[in-house]
Amino acid sequence: MARLESLVRLEHVTKSFGGRPAVDALSFDVRRGEVFALLGPNGAGKTTTVRMLVGVIRPDEGRIVVSLDGQPRVSLPPALTGYLPEDRGLYREIPVLRTLIYFGRLRGLEKHEARRRALEWLERLNLLDRKDERVAALSKGNQQRVQFITAVIHRPQLALLDEPFTGLDPLSQELFLGIVRDLREAGTTIILSAHQMDLVERAADRVLLMNQGREVLSGSIDELHGRLDGRPRVRLALDGTASLEALREDPDVAEVTADDADPTAIHIRLRDGATVARFLARAVTLVPLRSLSTERPRLHEVFVHVVREDDARRAGSPS
Amino acid sequence: MRHWYFVRLVTGWEFRRYFKWKDQFLGFLIFVGISVIAFATSRIAGRDGRSMTVATYGVQLSAPPGGRIALAPAPADSAARAAALRDGDVSGILSRRGDGTFELLVEKDPRHLPELRALLVELVRRERLAESGIAEAELARILAPPPLEVRFTDPDRTRAGRAERVAAGVFLGLVMLALFTSMAYLLTGITGEKQLRVTESITAIIPPQAWIDGKILGIGAYALASVANMVVGGLVLALAAKLAWGFSIPDVVVRPGVILVLVLFSVLALLLWNAFFAAFASTIDDPNTSARASVMFVPMLPVALTLSVLRDPDDTGSRVLSLFPLTSPSAMPARVILSDPGVGEIALSALLLVAMIWLTRRAAGRIFEIGMLMYGKEPTLREMWRWASAKSGSR
Repeated sequence: MARLESLVRLEHVTKSFGGRPAVDALSFDVRRGEVFALLGPNGAGKTTTVRMLVGVIRPDEGRIVVSLDGQPRVSLPPALTGYLPEDRGLYREIPVLRTLIYFGRLRGLEKHEARRRALEWLERLNLLDRKDERVAALSKGNQQRVQFITAVIHRPQLALLDEPFTGLDPLSQELFLGIVRDLREAGTTIILSAHQMDLVERAADRVLLMNQGREVLSGSIDELHGRLDGRPRVRLALDGTASLEALREDPDVAEVTADDADPTAIHIRLRDGATVARFLARAVTLVPLRSLSTERPRLHEVFVHVVREDDARRAGSPS
Repeated sequence: MRHWYFVRLVTGWEFRRYFKWKDQFLGFLIFVGISVIAFATSRIAGRDGRSMTVATYGVQLSAPPGGRIALAPAPADSAARAAALRDGDVSGILSRRGDGTFELLVEKDPRHLPELRALLVELVRRERLAESGIAEAELARILAPPPLEVRFTDPDRTRAGRAERVAAGVFLGLVMLALFTSMAYLLTGITGEKQLRVTESITAIIPPQAWIDGKILGIGAYALASVANMVVGGLVLALAAKLAWGFSIPDVVVRPGVILVLVLFSVLALLLWNAFFAAFASTIDDPNTSARASVMFVPMLPVALTLSVLRDPDDTGSRVLSLFPLTSPSAMPARVILSDPGVGEIALSALLLVAMIWLTRRAAGRIFEIGMLMYGKEPTLREMWRWASAKSGSR
């Protein structure tokens, strides 16, 4: 059960700025070899949490216990960890390869090894022919690739990636997603903070959803899908278009929404106690049905639903 | 030690970030070129200054050869005198009134007036000597000061002359140049890192104290290299001046012991002020808009105080200045050039300075630790004092 070994554990960690808590008594653990995602709306405390993990800022209360090489520690050893900060930046006037060698050396690599790995990564990210150019000469997306290399050039045991997909075009997002998966396959544990739900859904093993500095939901992707509610969801494909009023008035239907991409498809959430079989038997009489498939809620919906619910609960709470 | 591993890496990085052979060579050429042009200009201006011709009317005056005043007899006719002045043949017409006073008629503000006045003083003195009947040789004997020879117990030592004072002044200038070079690069480098958001990537890897130590050393080394480049340029010029005009460098500044003290205190001065500059730079976002940029002129104050050492290097004030850590980096080398402060005093001064550097470096590290991650707000002096006094890792 090596994959279940706890690598990083936060225990009741709190951090405030100007008297306002950015992270409030947060606890979680990250297991060796997994991709652990921190999700949450803007201002939820994700970046503050990541910055405390890498030691850029210190918690006001609580503690962080790290066990990368079998030794319990209170901070992450730089040679074993990699960090891609949300606030990204590199020395613009310095050539790409020199920049990467410097960061590799800061992470404890010998100069020749840092150079070798830098060249490897540049080739993988299609930047080898630009190794002698100044960083400022690269496009923003390519600068982000270089910054990403600085975080993983030393093959860290733990990589903390704060918003790694932000600012990337879809192809680059796919490329980075593949790299995240490859890193995990190679044994790197990854903590990532992101708000691209579809990418997180495809990359993460477990997710912790934060709102206003606190955990509101956590678990594996499957567990999260099940947490929205137990009510089944179906997608109907129709022969042409049809009036949806009859469906909305059906006693088993809680919600009907159109499909954004396909005008002949609709999504239906059923009420408590309803079964797909019973609904199907009536649906064929209400609309020109071509096909029906069950579906699970997307992470995006889970996210929106849970955060709204948490906001409503806090608004109603006297404290 | 891991701390020094990081310091070594950052020092090398910061030095190589700014040091470029091409730029240094270009700087060398520009320095030598400007010096040659300035020297040539002053020579041309000096030559032009000799050509003031004064016509004398009713005055028995003679000018020594090689002076900047040339004398010529003025025409007897007043109209001809006026025409000579108007046409620019002469710069002025010197005449003597009936009461014995002199009048210089000119069209524009006369140059070299003190030189002309000296000639007139000499003329009047000779006239009065003739009236009194005292021989000129006798008067010179009466007014001559008694001879006094200053002899040092160390036969190799000589009195500080004008050349030594110039050398001390040049040294102070070079220290200031190194300080301001460091200041400029620290200020633009650190605020640039904040603006480019490089800070967080680095502070996640290395301790802030190691980062600031590396910056202090790396940029200090760059400033010293730049100044050394200028010193080499100056030596080339001095050698050329020696070959052309017999100019000689004061012996005192080429003694190994003196060079050692000068280099030691220059390095210590850079370390002290670089720690101050680095901490300060970390507390501002943009030097172009910060109202605090004027703080960067603070190092000029101790150097200005040190100028008093040039007048009397061994009085109490000079001795205090050469021991006090903020003024000692400039005052002690000045005293070493002009006087002989003794090994004990030099060692004590260096020790006090090293202790001050250590304290400043630690305080700077704590300010830097928090300041580098602050954006959009400049901390108050009280906040900075609180950070400097706090334990490391309080961010």
